[in-house]
Formats: sequence, structure tokens, C-alpha cells
Amino acid sequence: MAEEPTSSQPVRKSRVLDVAAAVAHVEDGMTVAIGGFINSSHPMIVVRELIRRGFRQLTIVGAASSGLECDLLIAAGVAKRIVAPYIGAEGLAAIGPGFRAAAERGQIEVFELDEAMYYAALRAAAQRVPFNPWRSGVGTSFPEINPAIKVFKDPCNGETLLAIPAVNIDVAFLHAATSDIYGNVQYVGHAYGDRAIYAAADMTFVQVEHVVSNEEIRKDPLRTVVAGADGVIRARFGSHPYASPGHYIEDKDHIKEYVRAATAWTKDNDRGSLTAYLDRWVFGPKDHVEYLERVGLRALLSLDEY
Amino acid sequence: MTATSAAAPATIKEIMATVLARDLVDGDWVEVGANLPVPRAGVLLAHLTRGPNMTVMIAMTKANVLTEPVIEEFELITDQRAMRWAEAYYIHNDLVENMKFRRKGVFFAGALQIDPYGNSNLIGIGTDHAKLKFRGPGAIGVCNATVMNSRFHLILNSHDKRVLVPKCDFISAFGWGSGGNDARTKIGLPAGGPRYVVTPLCVMDFEDGSKRMRLKSVHAGVSVGDVVGTTGFDLVIPESVPQTEAPTAAELNVLRTRIDVRGALRR
Repeated sequence: MAEEPTSSQPVRKSRVLDVAAAVAHVEDGMTVAIGGFINSSHPMIVVRELIRRGFRQLTIVGAASSGLECDLLIAAGVAKRIVAPYIGAEGLAAIGPGFRAAAERGQIEVFELDEAMYYAALRAAAQRVPFNPWRSGVGTSFPEINPAIKVFKDPCNGETLLAIPAVNIDVAFLHAATSDIYGNVQYVGHAYGDRAIYAAADMTFVQVEHVVSNEEIRKDPLRTVVAGADGVIRARFGSHPYASPGHYIEDKDHIKEYVRAATAWTKDNDRGSLTAYLDRWVFGPKDHVEYLERVGLRALLSLDEY
Repeated sequence: MTATSAAAPATIKEIMATVLARDLVDGDWVEVGANLPVPRAGVLLAHLTRGPNMTVMIAMTKANVLTEPVIEEFELITDQRAMRWAEAYYIHNDLVENMKFRRKGVFFAGALQIDPYGNSNLIGIGTDHAKLKFRGPGAIGVCNATVMNSRFHLILNSHDKRVLVPKCDFISAFGWGSGGNDARTKIGLPAGGPRYVVTPLCVMDFEDGSKRMRLKSVHAGVSVGDVVGTTGFDLVIPESVPQTEAPTAAELNVLRTRIDVRGALRR
């Protein structure tokens, strides 16, 4: 953070901070959101930091379609409860192996909903109302397997609808292309559902590939998706092993390495390879630069092109 | 790539894609999911052969690829290359919050379990939700999309008694409830609902009135007995069951030279 102004001339504060300062806003038991979409745009420096710092009992709000970043948080024991309509990696893992293992052993509470209910829950939080109504899901098992979802008669027309409770996010973490030092964040592409996560969160910290000038942002203000993040984290290759639109593609070999490690836990209840993965990629490197050194320049550069 | 000659007979997956294509009409709005080769090919086949005004959603973009010589296939929905045809982006929360455009929509879904009335389950297998015997992928967007689109089809990679069950452990997508033409409207859902269940053995639909699953056609080389023996409940079996119509030579050519050049449907 910039110094307080000492002269009579007021100074606008920089919102650039490091990952430790961003994660310092998290406390055990909080509801923490991780943005992105399946194999793209996850704030992985933050995810690894949450694990390294030993957070427990977090409610993790994943993306509407979460990838294995949520699977990793579950496998590492950080998440007590998960709010996500899907956890997996498409063809690389149809179902997140760590999610599967934890759910089948009763080690994770699943706040069951589909994508539309998920956005209704975030919308309710953003609007500061207790719930949003939704029609789809009437007649299904959702109100039974998620007792927070209530069936109700709408007071206007008497129709049967579902009340989807607000999911308030204490701290949200996102990954984007660029921001200025004031937290005006721009994406390459459509930013998936990150707007909805941002709107439902009390605080939002965004990893970006590049910090750019304020003038650069003002060239095209329509592209600003997060207009005033609480903090901006410099994060070149910060979504690795997942893609970062406009910058690099997903590292399939690395994702497969994780899938193999977590699948051994699912199938054989053997955490050996998962522990080895965590030691090598999460606990071993002392910071993001060391992590990238382990990945290696050659591997990183190979992700720059299709 | 083109080693499969255009004259080679249609594979089961090509037949399944053709069934889906023939249900679509010009003007429909359809999703081309990633990693779902059969529905993807079905949608594009309809679009390229007789649906010039269809809107296809590829990797969360609005697209119309009528004049593209070859529509490359991408493994992941997040692959940026699949966004090259975008006329608009579907920002994901808008896509799932704004429902009016889905009135012309057709949707395709898989399932862990399907019951005789087309209710289906993606949650998991087991009686205790807190400790499932098998944890499924989750409902994704399926609960909503099967309600808000004009109709949907259930697609299975295997036809067996573990999937086609008398009763689902959980229902994540409502089909025809416990039966009857009004099963959906009487609980306030739009009409529509499941139309076909397409498997590697056959096509099934839902009998008017009861809305119970009925055998519609069997694919080449499959007998009615094969279907009955691998279905976990009693199907409605009509007196005569035709063979599923194979793609025409022209359709097969479009499939193999423009849609499925890499041969995902021929493996």
C-alpha cells in the first residue's frame, strides 16, 4: 500500500499487494470464493497459499463450473463445505477425484445446487435480500438434499417456486488479464461468471497477469469487469496449471499428474501420491517464483501457443 | 483422417447423432457442448444441412457456422480457439439467468440414472446424501436447462440396468414425474420435457398419455430382446419396432468431412 499523503496534495492509493497480504483477510470458518471456469482462470497462487497457511473449515464457493482448484482445496483439507454445481475437468477428469473421495467418505458437506440456483444464490447476496426465487428445481430432490432451499408459494400469483438462499461471500479471489494499480480489472474474453462472484462478495482480490497503466484501462472502459478490486496481486502465470485467456493455455500434463495423485486416494484410500503432489507443488516452493522454477521455463513457454 | 471411406457404413455414434439432428428444426437455439461428441455432431449436422437460421452456442459464444468449410472440434469448453466464430459472448451468469431465449432452445443431457418417466440423476448413487456410495459430477446446468428449453434429449454412452432404473436415488432433472401429459404443467413447469432417450442400442420416446418410456426404434443389428434384457424396467413395446434410420450418404459426407474430421464418432 502507498504511504499516507504527507503533503497537502492528496494521493490516490495503490491497491497492489502480495498474496500473503490478500490472504490475511481470510479467517477459518469464512466463506471464500474462487473464480474461473473448469480448466481456466483460477487464482492458483491464492489457492496454494490457502493450503500452505493451513486454513481449515472454510466454505468454498467454486465457480458455476469448478475445476480441480476446488478439488485440490478439498483434498488438502481446507474446505469444510463446498458450494459448486460441478467439480471436474471435462475429459481430463469427468468428476473431481478428491471431491469424489471426500463426498463418499462424508468428509465434505456439499451445498447441492445447479448453475441457475448458484447464480440465484449469488444474486440474492448481491441484492442484499435473503433469497431469490427460481422455478427450475420444483419437483426434484434439491429441497431434500439441500435443506437451505425452500419450496414456497409466491405471494403475487400463488405459484410454487423455490427460494434459493443468499450465499454471501466474505472474500472472493479471481484471476484476470490486467488491472491498473487502482483495481480496475480487465479480462480477455467474457470472464465466465466472475462478475456474479464479485457482486456477491464483501471483498475481492484479483490476481492479474500484468499491472498496466491507468491510461491503458481508460482506452476501453467497457472492458473493465471488476471496477475497484480491494486488492490486485501481480501474478504472471498465476493460473497455472489452468489457462489464462490471451496469455497461455492449460498445462494438461500437470493437470493429469494431479488427477493421478488424487485418484489413488479415491480408489485405494492411499494418500501417498497426493501428499507427494502437495509437497512438490504446494508446500515445497517458498513462493510463486519458486513454483514457476519447478514448472520450468521450457514447459511454461510451451503453453504460450496452441 | 479421411482413411474412413465415405462409403463405410455409419457407426453407432453417427446414427445417434443423426437421430438428434433430425429432431432439430431451423431456428432452434442449441448448445454445442464440449466433450459431448454425439450431441455436438447432431447439432452441427442439422445446422449445416437444413438449419441455416439456427443459433449454435459454441464455447459460450453465439455462432452461426453455416459457411465454415470445417468446424474444428475442441476438447475443452474453455478453449479460446472455439470462440473464433463468436457473434456475441454469452457471459455465463447472463446465460443462466436470462431464460426467454431458451424458449426456442433444445438441450442434451447425460445421466447416472434415468427412470421410466425420464426423471434423471447426476447427483450420485446411494441413499444417504451425506455419504454417497458413488458421488456424481453434480447437476451442472442440467436442472434448469431441462426446464427452460423447449425440449431435451437424454443421451447415454451405455445401455444397461444400472442406468435405466425403476427409481432414481435422486432426481436432479425433472422428466415426466410420475407420468401423465400434465406432469410438468401441473407443478408450474413449462411444457416441453424429455423427448428422446438415445443409447447405443436404440431410441426411446415417451408414450402419449402415460408418458412412460417406449421403445421407438432399434439400431441396425440390435433386437428388441437386446433392449428389454438390458433395461431395468418394463418399457412400452409397440407391436412393430422399426430400425433407426441411418444417415443418408449426403449426411454422412457432411459428418465426416466438415463436422467430425478427427473421427470421434468413428472410434
